[in-house]
Amino acid sequence: MTPHMYAVRTSALLLTALLALTACGGGTSADADAESGEPVKGGTLVYAVNTEPTNLDPHASPQDITGLYTRPVLDSLVTLDDQGKIHPWLASSWEISADQKTYTFKLREGVKFSDGTVFDAAAVKANLEHIVDPKTKSQLAAGFIAPYTGSEVVDARTVKVSFSRPHSPFLAALATAYFGIQSPESLKKGPEELAKRVIGTGPFVIDEFTPRQGITYHRNPDYDWAPPTAAHSGPAHLEKLEIKLLAEDSVRLGALTSGQVDGIASVPPVNVKQLKADSRFTLQTKQAPGGNYSYYPNTAGGVFKDVKVRQAFRDGIDFKTVVDKLYFGVFQPAFSPISPATQGYDKSTETQWKYDPDGAAKLLDEAGWTGRDDQGYRTRDGERLTVRWPFLKAFAREQRDTLAQQIQAEAKKIGFDVAFDDVTVAEYLPKVIKGDYDLADFSWQRADGDALRNLFSSSSITNAEQYGQNQAKYTDKEVDGWLDDSLNTTDLAERAALYSKVQQKVNTDVAVFPVYVFNYVLGSSKKAHGIGWEPQAYPTFYSAWVTK
Amino acid sequence: MSRVSKSRTPARHPVARRTLVRLGASLLVLWGAVTLAFASLHLTPGSIEDTLIGQSTVTPEVRAQIVADYGLDEPVHVQYLAYLGRVLKGDLGHSYQLHDSVSSLISSQAVPSLQLTLTGLGLAAVTAILLSLLTAKRSRLLRGVVSGLELVGISVPVFWAGILLLTVFSFQLGWFPAAGGDGFSGLVLPAVAVAISVTALLSQVMREGLETVLEEPFVLTARARGLSDLAVRFRHALRHVLLPAVTLGGWLFGLVLGGLVTIEMIFSRQGLGQLTLNAVTGKDLPVVMGVVVLTSGVYVVVNILLDLLYLVIDPRLRGAHEPGS
Repeated sequence: MTPHMYAVRTSALLLTALLALTACGGGTSADADAESGEPVKGGTLVYAVNTEPTNLDPHASPQDITGLYTRPVLDSLVTLDDQGKIHPWLASSWEISADQKTYTFKLREGVKFSDGTVFDAAAVKANLEHIVDPKTKSQLAAGFIAPYTGSEVVDARTVKVSFSRPHSPFLAALATAYFGIQSPESLKKGPEELAKRVIGTGPFVIDEFTPRQGITYHRNPDYDWAPPTAAHSGPAHLEKLEIKLLAEDSVRLGALTSGQVDGIASVPPVNVKQLKADSRFTLQTKQAPGGNYSYYPNTAGGVFKDVKVRQAFRDGIDFKTVVDKLYFGVFQPAFSPISPATQGYDKSTETQWKYDPDGAAKLLDEAGWTGRDDQGYRTRDGERLTVRWPFLKAFAREQRDTLAQQIQAEAKKIGFDVAFDDVTVAEYLPKVIKGDYDLADFSWQRADGDALRNLFSSSSITNAEQYGQNQAKYTDKEVDGWLDDSLNTTDLAERAALYSKVQQKVNTDVAVFPVYVFNYVLGSSKKAHGIGWEPQAYPTFYSAWVTK
Repeated sequence: MSRVSKSRTPARHPVARRTLVRLGASLLVLWGAVTLAFASLHLTPGSIEDTLIGQSTVTPEVRAQIVADYGLDEPVHVQYLAYLGRVLKGDLGHSYQLHDSVSSLISSQAVPSLQLTLTGLGLAAVTAILLSLLTAKRSRLLRGVVSGLELVGISVPVFWAGILLLTVFSFQLGWFPAAGGDGFSGLVLPAVAVAISVTALLSQVMREGLETVLEEPFVLTARARGLSDLAVRFRHALRHVLLPAVTLGGWLFGLVLGGLVTIEMIFSRQGLGQLTLNAVTGKDLPVVMGVVVLTSGVYVVVNILLDLLYLVIDPRLRGAHEPGS
């Protein structure tokens, strides 16, 4: 009866508002460092990241990096493991009503915020109310509990949360840092204070957040309420934790290899081999859950309205080889819109379609694109087969611009003219609203199969009122129905079966060209131990320790 | 007594008038800069609330709140006048994105930027003076080597110079931290990175000037009085090439201050560069306008100061009746 992981990782942009195109992620763990010896108490771990929050309040901010920065400080009501199972944390147990509209949580006793405030039912209510308050201007969390109607304090240890309709992704959402429980006293201070300091019950307490430089924490000595999934209990091993912003890839890598930091985020794929070969360092990768980095054809207008043309583009380009070569195997080629690390991933999508240039040529002939112009592009009635692609080059992470150019060259071989339009975010958004594009690209990390609802539900199509992730502008009654059904059941197997149908259907309809599975690539010194992972695929430091 | 004061007034007057005229013109410059920035942000495509929300899916209530909070539903000319009114009252407003007031954002970011700009320029000025004084009219070989180096210095992209400095002095030698060093140690490498191209430019200009000056008859006179070569260069020739260098310095100040983005990113420094870049791409209007007000203000002040500095360097200008004569 417990739902899945649900955690969103929208983009890791430098800027506040502009998320997902560059959306980022985290993933499923690969080789975990074999931890040897007893954890050492004390010491400081310095970790370097490539981007930073513009707002520390995870209730308001949609950035992944906000989750990373605030997780050391904030605990959640529940926690989830890599299998998508929910475990108690600040809530010791919970019950879901028969109509699945009410969740009643029993709260853990003896928990205190680091400012001395007692954690109780009123605090939970204050947090949920803060998230949905329009004044918070929540860009993520509020959207994930859209059917929320209110919370009721039954007694100091019991809180009842109600929804207007069944909403199965709720518990997994609660497990994310975006629903981290903050001190109600601190919440009262308003958005400007919260943007710089958050106060929770977590194993660390923020010392100072300095924009463009980083953040420092010290251990919370009273911490005694780690989730059962953690590697240890009691206070954190580290005395101090420091996160530094080193935005430039080569600088971050140099800081690690010269021993100035203990670990770094986002090792560039090209340097992965070098780091692996060096015995002083450990490399860990974790596949990000949720929407892969994919290209989405505009199915509502333009050349890709015709499913044959869409299929020709997907099957006629050797995505797998391009991805393998560019990322040295660090990012895997994708076959489904969601990553293998997502609850509900359908492995059979991996054989559902394959590279088939001859088939693609036949499809284009059937679609009427039989002519060729002097540059070798296909034409129909004298009109060239052109794919208009507004591309946010300034925010392209992970060499997505290089990748796009290689895809452009591959597409030319089968007669497509891929025309880039290098746009700014401000120019991009009106195009999305008007549907003035043939191709869009982004990733949509989220630790829940419900990511599919963001990507393909007809209610998730962008309009003037609301930005949505269904940039394929895909509408299908069956898919809408399955996605709706998935909200009504908290049974993991039932939901997986529904998500499987959705993945098969959107692949059949070619509403997505899956490209690669994003992996969080973490490089660390052998002196750093016990760095853990959130299911959303970013590192946690509660059980980490350092040796001299 | 009275004779003395009489003889000083004509000199003092033009300075005061000159300063006043400059101040008046400066206000116009400020107003123009603010207006242009406002117009350009509104003329570029995309509505502000869409950009602020970006690719997030927000509830209609949140969207309405954003529009209401920032008065985005007002006609543009009303927003413009309201903004000007607030600026006149000294209120630069609140950032749309950074959850802080523009004045506190700018004051916290301006210090590291000015610190780096001034240190970089100071370093460049000293190095350029020494280089040019020591190499002007020296052997062809020495000059060839130095001007070759200068050419490299001017052509090296600041990005590459920064990475190279870090690789050698931080990653290899470990003399300086890669980022965030406290105070001086964290300032050295970025300042050197800033100074490289500026030094090269200044020393080229100054050497050329010096080579002309050293041909002047007064240099011959000075030498005839038995002054050593170095004394001639430092005491007599230098002053003559400082004027063009100072003029160039005012321009370089703006150029360097405006171009710190890359340095800030590589060295993870706080500063106006990143603040501005993010504000422009994110249509964070109040921050952009605040930066425009600040930088045009600083630019104006620097130019006034330089004007006054001319009078200090060149006594001949002090007695001039008309500015610029």
